[in-house]
Amino acid sequence: MEFNWSQEDGEFRRELAEFLDATLPSDWDEISKGGPGSEAQASFSREFAHKLAERGWLTQNWPAAYGGADATPWRHIILSEEMWSRGEPRGPQYMNVNWIGPSIMEYGSEEQKREHLSRISRGDVLWCQGFSEPEAGSDLAALRTLALRDGDVYVVNGTKIWTSYANHADFCFLLVRTDPNSKGRRGVSVLLTEMDLPGIEVREISSVVGERYFHEVFLADVRVPVSCRLGPENEGWSIVSYALQYERVGAPRYARAALTVDQIAAHARERGLLSDPMVLQKLGEARVLCEAARLLTYRVVDQRTRKLPPSADSNLARVAGTIADRAVAELALEVFGEDAMIYGSFADSNFRMAMTAGVAVGATEIQLNLIASRFLGLPRE
Amino acid sequence: MDFELNDDQRAILEAVGALLERHAGAERAIALAPKSEYDHALEEALHEAGFLELALGEGTGPLEAVLVVEAVARAGGVVAFGAGALVAPGVAGRSLSGPVAMASAGNGSPIRYGAHARSLLLLDADEASWITLEPGDAEPVRSSFGYPMGRVRSASGDSFGRGSGERMRNWWRVALAAEAVGTMDAALSVTIDYVKQRRQFGRTIGSFQAVQHRLAECAVLLEGSRWLVREAACLGAPSQAAAAAAAHATAAANRVFTETHQVSGAIGYTREHDLHVWSMRLQALRLEFGSIAGHQRALAEARWGEQSR
Repeated sequence: MEFNWSQEDGEFRRELAEFLDATLPSDWDEISKGGPGSEAQASFSREFAHKLAERGWLTQNWPAAYGGADATPWRHIILSEEMWSRGEPRGPQYMNVNWIGPSIMEYGSEEQKREHLSRISRGDVLWCQGFSEPEAGSDLAALRTLALRDGDVYVVNGTKIWTSYANHADFCFLLVRTDPNSKGRRGVSVLLTEMDLPGIEVREISSVVGERYFHEVFLADVRVPVSCRLGPENEGWSIVSYALQYERVGAPRYARAALTVDQIAAHARERGLLSDPMVLQKLGEARVLCEAARLLTYRVVDQRTRKLPPSADSNLARVAGTIADRAVAELALEVFGEDAMIYGSFADSNFRMAMTAGVAVGATEIQLNLIASRFLGLPRE
Repeated sequence: MDFELNDDQRAILEAVGALLERHAGAERAIALAPKSEYDHALEEALHEAGFLELALGEGTGPLEAVLVVEAVARAGGVVAFGAGALVAPGVAGRSLSGPVAMASAGNGSPIRYGAHARSLLLLDADEASWITLEPGDAEPVRSSFGYPMGRVRSASGDSFGRGSGERMRNWWRVALAAEAVGTMDAALSVTIDYVKQRRQFGRTIGSFQAVQHRLAECAVLLEGSRWLVREAACLGAPSQAAAAAAAHATAAANRVFTETHQVSGAIGYTREHDLHVWSMRLQALRLEFGSIAGHQRALAEARWGEQSR
């Protein structure tokens, strides 16, 4: 057991920080205010991820055979922390690196690997995740979007919803039902779908979280070549499980949350609030929750380093991250008071970013169910 | 970074596990409780096996000591092990004749093991001092909270010098948090066993989501506390890490107390059910040395306060 970073890992973090200091533009705070899905940040990410790729860092966690550097999971979490704590300049491209690429490596054909992996590792392609539907939220296996075979294409009809980045994406990791008589986890397939195919329409859903945050994706007689199917027909659920296990702890939101707490503390000092015991207490509480989420995430990274099978520890880490995000949102309002009511202010932006924590990437209740059964061994209902 | 026990740590935990199997446990704690007795036999066994020397041992350190503090607390040991095995070495650089109790100067509050202690570590602002207690220096105080409590009447001793106060604050927080981790672990595990076998409405109550989610959240808080404590010990108890561990573990302790009792129903309040051995202690640990808010403020001051600038 060891909680100190190795010298090499420490140097890597410093090198990354220097690169970010030199590379992020002076108006970066303004660009990053709308979050990874915003217009400004998505277009910035094409430029930024390209630079990251030039340094060999964008897909450093991938195997050398696919253009990566076989970097350890520890190196990858350091990179992810540095990115998230700066507001994620990779924009939506963090998904490409974390789970879309790895899923294609695991299940893709040689042709799919050639096409997609090289584009992802160059840093100039955006993906979105076509999972949720109006009638399939937490119960993802209830998905209905239908893909019927017609010669060498699938004809796809259905609706995807809450799709972040759909307005910018070049491709969609699209989950469909290829067996019309199936239910639940059987009969599901993954289609690597180009977003500019005829019949795909993206509509923004207006929300209080932010502009262009959520989208609906309507699919009407979209003809997707059979060659775009990832893995065997009707066996897509195992790909989803594989992808989700990477997704759950892929984005260290605690790193961003911890930075936000530091920024709030700086504001509190300027306002002369640091002598207020209640403010100190809430700052401490929020900081602690970020630290707990960090260590529970590290526990999962450690297991990944040992190539152990996925465990319930990833569910613990996710819930801890959600608790931390909530505390930070609360803290922002507490410290800024009525000033938080101004749209676009620091407190307002952070509050809106954090308010989705318990729902984004899967409801907390599902994580708690999984902890109860897998970690505590409690019987299912 | 490495989150697995190494071979030596595994061996230490196996050895102390076997010792605690013989000398500690709920039954023993319940037997000692009516007269607020101290478990001198357990302390002697831990001492003889060298577990009090781990923090300054050859090839071992505070991390190994913390692992054993967790284990002793999980077994409900009625011994001042955190103070003796972790705080005394951290402050004095050597072990002190036990039992060791800890107090903050001037507040006169009851302290754990106060009436049984031979050594008192006293925290007074910037300095910690060591006081040898004679019989009659302290009086027992009756308490609901699971530990023999006492109040030291008057005492003065030898200071460890300037800066020793900071060391004591930090190691005290780590020890407190480690004890909370072991104690929560046991409280939660007794409760999980109970909800798995208790049936109502034709099914085990542990199959209800309302029960599952409470306990699952407790598990998240417990595991977070566990790693914060281990990290703080491994890094040598720097102020921020020590305060973070104590803040998280005491807040978690409060939550675990509430939820384990809630789902255990009325049987959980009785002395025939083991939960109380650990649950009541959780509130003592939560109150000790400034309570939850005190640890949270200590962290904020260490990170953002004037001195940290």
